[in-house]
Amino acid sequence: MQLIVNIIVLAAIYALLACGYVLIYRVSRVLNMAHGEIAMLGAYLLYTTASLFVANPFTAIAVAVVMSLTVGVLVYVLLMRKMTGEMVLAAILTTIAIGILLRGLIVLIWSAAQQHPLQALHFSNPSLEVFGGARISACAALMVVMTAVVYGGLFAFLRFGRWGVRMRAAGQNPLLAAQRGVNLNAIYALAWALSSLSGSIAGMLIALDSGLDQTMVVIGLKAFAPALVGGLDSLVGALVGSLIVAAAEVLAIHYIDPLLSDVVPFLVLIGMLIVRPWGLFGTREELDRV
Amino acid sequence: MSRPPRASGYFRTSYAQDLALVGTRFERTSLGVFILALLAFPFIASAFQLDLACQVFLACVGALSLMLLTGYAGQISLGHAGLMAAGAFTVGILFRETNAPFWITLPAAALVGALLGIIFGLPSLRLRGLYLAVSTLALHFVVIYIGGEYESRRGFSTGIVIDPPTLGGVAISDGRVWYFILLAAAAATLLLCVNLLRARSGRAWRAIRAHETVAEALGISIAGYKLLAFVISSAITAVAGALFAYYRGFVSVEAFSLFLTIQYLAMVIIGGMGSLLGALLGAAFVTIFPYIIETGLLALPGAQRYASLLFAVNYAGFGLVMILFLIFEPLGLVGIWHRIQSYFLLWPFKHRSASGSRR
Amino acid sequence: MISALLAIEKLEVVYQRAITAVQGITLAVEAGQIVALLGTNGAGKSTTLRAVSGFLGLDDARVTEGTISFKGVRIENRPPHENTRRGIVLVPERDKVFPNLTVAENLIAPVPRGTSLAEHRRREALVYQFFPRLGELKTRIGGLLSGGERQMLALASALVCRPELLLVDELSLGLAPVVVEDLLRRLIEIRRELGITILIVEQSATVALEIADYGYVMENGRIVLDGSAERLRSHPDIQEFYLGSRSGERRNYRDVKQYRRSRRWYG
Repeated sequence: MQLIVNIIVLAAIYALLACGYVLIYRVSRVLNMAHGEIAMLGAYLLYTTASLFVANPFTAIAVAVVMSLTVGVLVYVLLMRKMTGEMVLAAILTTIAIGILLRGLIVLIWSAAQQHPLQALHFSNPSLEVFGGARISACAALMVVMTAVVYGGLFAFLRFGRWGVRMRAAGQNPLLAAQRGVNLNAIYALAWALSSLSGSIAGMLIALDSGLDQTMVVIGLKAFAPALVGGLDSLVGALVGSLIVAAAEVLAIHYIDPLLSDVVPFLVLIGMLIVRPWGLFGTREELDRV
Repeated sequence: MSRPPRASGYFRTSYAQDLALVGTRFERTSLGVFILALLAFPFIASAFQLDLACQVFLACVGALSLMLLTGYAGQISLGHAGLMAAGAFTVGILFRETNAPFWITLPAAALVGALLGIIFGLPSLRLRGLYLAVSTLALHFVVIYIGGEYESRRGFSTGIVIDPPTLGGVAISDGRVWYFILLAAAAATLLLCVNLLRARSGRAWRAIRAHETVAEALGISIAGYKLLAFVISSAITAVAGALFAYYRGFVSVEAFSLFLTIQYLAMVIIGGMGSLLGALLGAAFVTIFPYIIETGLLALPGAQRYASLLFAVNYAGFGLVMILFLIFEPLGLVGIWHRIQSYFLLWPFKHRSASGSRR
Repeated sequence: MISALLAIEKLEVVYQRAITAVQGITLAVEAGQIVALLGTNGAGKSTTLRAVSGFLGLDDARVTEGTISFKGVRIENRPPHENTRRGIVLVPERDKVFPNLTVAENLIAPVPRGTSLAEHRRREALVYQFFPRLGELKTRIGGLLSGGERQMLALASALVCRPELLLVDELSLGLAPVVVEDLLRRLIEIRRELGITILIVEQSATVALEIADYGYVMENGRIVLDGSAERLRSHPDIQEFYLGSRSGERRNYRDVKQYRRSRRWYG
């Protein structure tokens, strides 16, 4: 039973991070290798705002969220926009470089020591008991809830919102979208904003649950596997992929070897690449166009 | 690809001339001078500088192999550190388990690299370059896991110590001897890459990088050549890792982080994609960069305070330089070098005539 | 002459800094006209249209010389979405709909210039009036439409953008003559009801000259002939090279090869 709870929590973490990869890839074919670092930045921002707004934890959270959104937009507008029209290879390399830069800046500003935003916010993280004697921490439960909220919001936006339709259109046929009046730069900036928002929410919750340090980057990288397993351009796929990878990882850790935790997502990834490279729900044509 | 600007009056009129490594007399003499300088260096350099030069040569081997893969065949690999780790661990494991000499371990490392290239290359190479990046990321984590497992299972929690390689009973540990060995290794790799590129494989890779569909229409087996590039590159990288193991006398998982991979990618980017000279320039730049940062930081007042931040400044500075090159100078240091050459060649004119813009 | 809605002067367009697709053309489109741009494959017609509509960085094409003026304002080398805001909308030759969106979503996606949501909805309703068939297909996925339906959807989504100048690239390509007739009638209706100016590019001179008021003939990136539609229809060279040879007499192949006289076009 505890295993199932652990799987759901881990799946929530992966899902929240994976949708960030999907959003950007879907719209611009770019793999944002800096996603983990952006998520980490969000958590560090929360830590700072928590210390600033000591009396108002919710203001702290709100400010941190807004700041993370801005970071995403800035990264696009200042850096990635110069890469539109260049080879995708160059764009991906740029995201790798951005990730390194962010990592360096974060350590410079906040130091590499582990931080605890939870304490800064004066929240507590009690362990709750759910059915069957399994335990889940409050923050982890919140994470599961937030995943549902974020995904629900994204689905609704993309399906029904005017700008959601435009975002999907820009992903399918950017030239036609531009010819129909859609400002592609605005769409891409929006995708980056949403991606860094969801990533930062994930980062903040992870930090609240288990402390904040540089290891979050690794989680960001691991979250790549569920995104690919589900199909890089499918949100549904990210969700399903997260469940599969999380299940594989938790079970492997429990029954085989705890050290496997970093490897398992990538083994699943390789398996999927061999069997069905475009993922479970990805569009097949995605393959040939890249 | 990047061709150096030439003074007018230089024409190639035979295939032999086209294939030749050095063309003009000026190139020949400057190459000669450079080689002499390289050979003389160890006798005038300090131990620190010698070590630095050795590091640069080691980096050259890895950078050249990555340039082959990324700069020419156009595939991104995120598994460079993993492949080097594989080579290093092959040496370490063979040494610890069987006490094998270097003339067995080095080829074994190459073999392991090639095998990994096949295993992780096959699934993703029928797809476009993007998926190789993902596949090699997996490679990295798998190799690190296996290495880590070996270390902990066999009790080498801090790493495996390796005796220096012996040649005719004499242990190679002198800095100067290593200098020449690594110089030879770098030169050999350079020659290998140059020849690969002059041959059919090189033309195929250039074609694939320029336009895959057209290359396929021309009868070039895309998957086959991509796999070839990846396998060769992996083998060379593994050998680089093996050399690294022998040079340091020490193998441990911590040395092979993703940052190492990114450093090699930076070498290729900063040096200039699609140019072997770029790989060498990039390798030199990236290897020396941290030391420049360190000297710069320590020269500032209040140096002690900054010492702990060194690593972070390194990271940040690194990312910044990479971004600057990607956005403003995608042709890298080689591009800058060609620009300087053009400036002097064309002076007092400012521009070349635009090639082929009008009929 | 009265200042034209669209004025192109000595336009040159270059692909990839190497290939000059359009080599110095001058043409004008008056408000309310339907103007046709004729020519064979590779004449540079589509490129001209795309130059007017605007290039994106993805094409590696640029206007290197000459000017394009819309209502007196120069618009060359602007991105497409800007020109759409000015009222110039292109119906492209290929990739003319969003393949994974439904018909209804295809009509929601365009961003019409300066309109409120209510106006956008009214525009959509109008478009369904012109193309009732689309109303029946609202939930069909764009990529699954037939050729004719897809062209209708392409036109419809262009209309949603409230164009003043509609650019249509190869309307008839791949469509049955009956379908093309139907589309042409609708175009004329659209021009009449909405007062839109239309610049249409066509390989099929028959189709184009049916609805055009004025026409330009392009070959190898240059304009070789222009005139009103009647003049073009009765022009012997047009009749021979674009409308099929004259009056059914049997021709000696050797005689036909006498289009050396096309030299006169360049004179």
